[in-house]
Amino acid sequence: MKHPARWIALTVGAVVAALAVVLALQVGNDPRAEQNKSTLVGKRAPSFDLATVSGGKVTARGLEGKAVIVNFWNSWCIPCKQEESALKTFWSRHKDDPNVAMVGIVRDDTAGDARRYARNHGMNWTIALDPGSQAALDFATRGQPETYAISPDGLITGSQYGPVSVGNLETMLASTKSTPQ
Amino acid sequence: MSLRRWWAWLALGLVVVVAVAITVWPRGGERSDVQRARDLAAELKCPECQGLSMGDSGSTTARAARADITRRIAHGESDAQIRQAYVDRYGESILLKPEAKGIGLIVWALPVGALVAAAGGLVIALRRWRREPRLHPTDADRRLVESTRSPTDQP
Repeated sequence: MKHPARWIALTVGAVVAALAVVLALQVGNDPRAEQNKSTLVGKRAPSFDLATVSGGKVTARGLEGKAVIVNFWNSWCIPCKQEESALKTFWSRHKDDPNVAMVGIVRDDTAGDARRYARNHGMNWTIALDPGSQAALDFATRGQPETYAISPDGLITGSQYGPVSVGNLETMLASTKSTPQ
Repeated sequence: MSLRRWWAWLALGLVVVVAVAITVWPRGGERSDVQRARDLAAELKCPECQGLSMGDSGSTTARAARADITRRIAHGESDAQIRQAYVDRYGESILLKPEAKGIGLIVWALPVGALVAAAGGLVIALRRWRREPRLHPTDADRRLVESTRSPTDQP
């Protein structure tokens, strides 16, 4: 090798250029996109078998064939209170539709507090308890509130982190009849 | 290079190789299930915390994840299977250590590349310094220095 310094400079230059190309190719990929949307969208919804606050049971299998809105919440969460009226409005529109179900899964709360809150606030959709937070983990939740839409054939078609509006819920319900959003 | 200097370099190289080998050599003995669960939880990022692993966090998700990992180990799942289950749920961002593939490969390859380049540069620089002749002042050099010194500089 006649000019080693030149070779080193060329090699370093080539590495830097290759790095620049790789980084440029990643520019379109928003690293936060993964943070804003569940990776479960388009995948089969996790199975769950939970007790409800009213003493009954709700299972994923029992909801097959219906469009299901799953909302993770708890009684002490302020953003959950913010979305409460949207959930009520949405449910008042669809509660009579036999093909639509809505399940509120209590995430990180005591059964007593959740039961009391649901009763006092007129949350008349199915409220299920998740002791051990296995359902919350299976849905890959990152906090509360979080909402998921499940199609009649059991696929997750939409998700939202944070409080939902009536519009969000309607869009998520519509997604259960089409491709995942 | 004299034989003595070669021995010094050889000894230095040996120390480096032994130190690296001790550091990277897998620890002997089977890990217990508890240790495996602890190690796996430490590799996974708590999704609702700031910079904490599932092993370190006391959050609902972390507690549930630790119980889930223990359950999976009891069911005979391998570390890779458990890791993959969490990547499938949460995406690659759940791993505290990026995987050595795709863009994550840069994180691992870059320091190694930099180390190799630095070592190469050092070897070339050392060779060049050795090739350069040692300069001794000539009488003309001494006269030039003397002529520039002022009388007050004289001892």
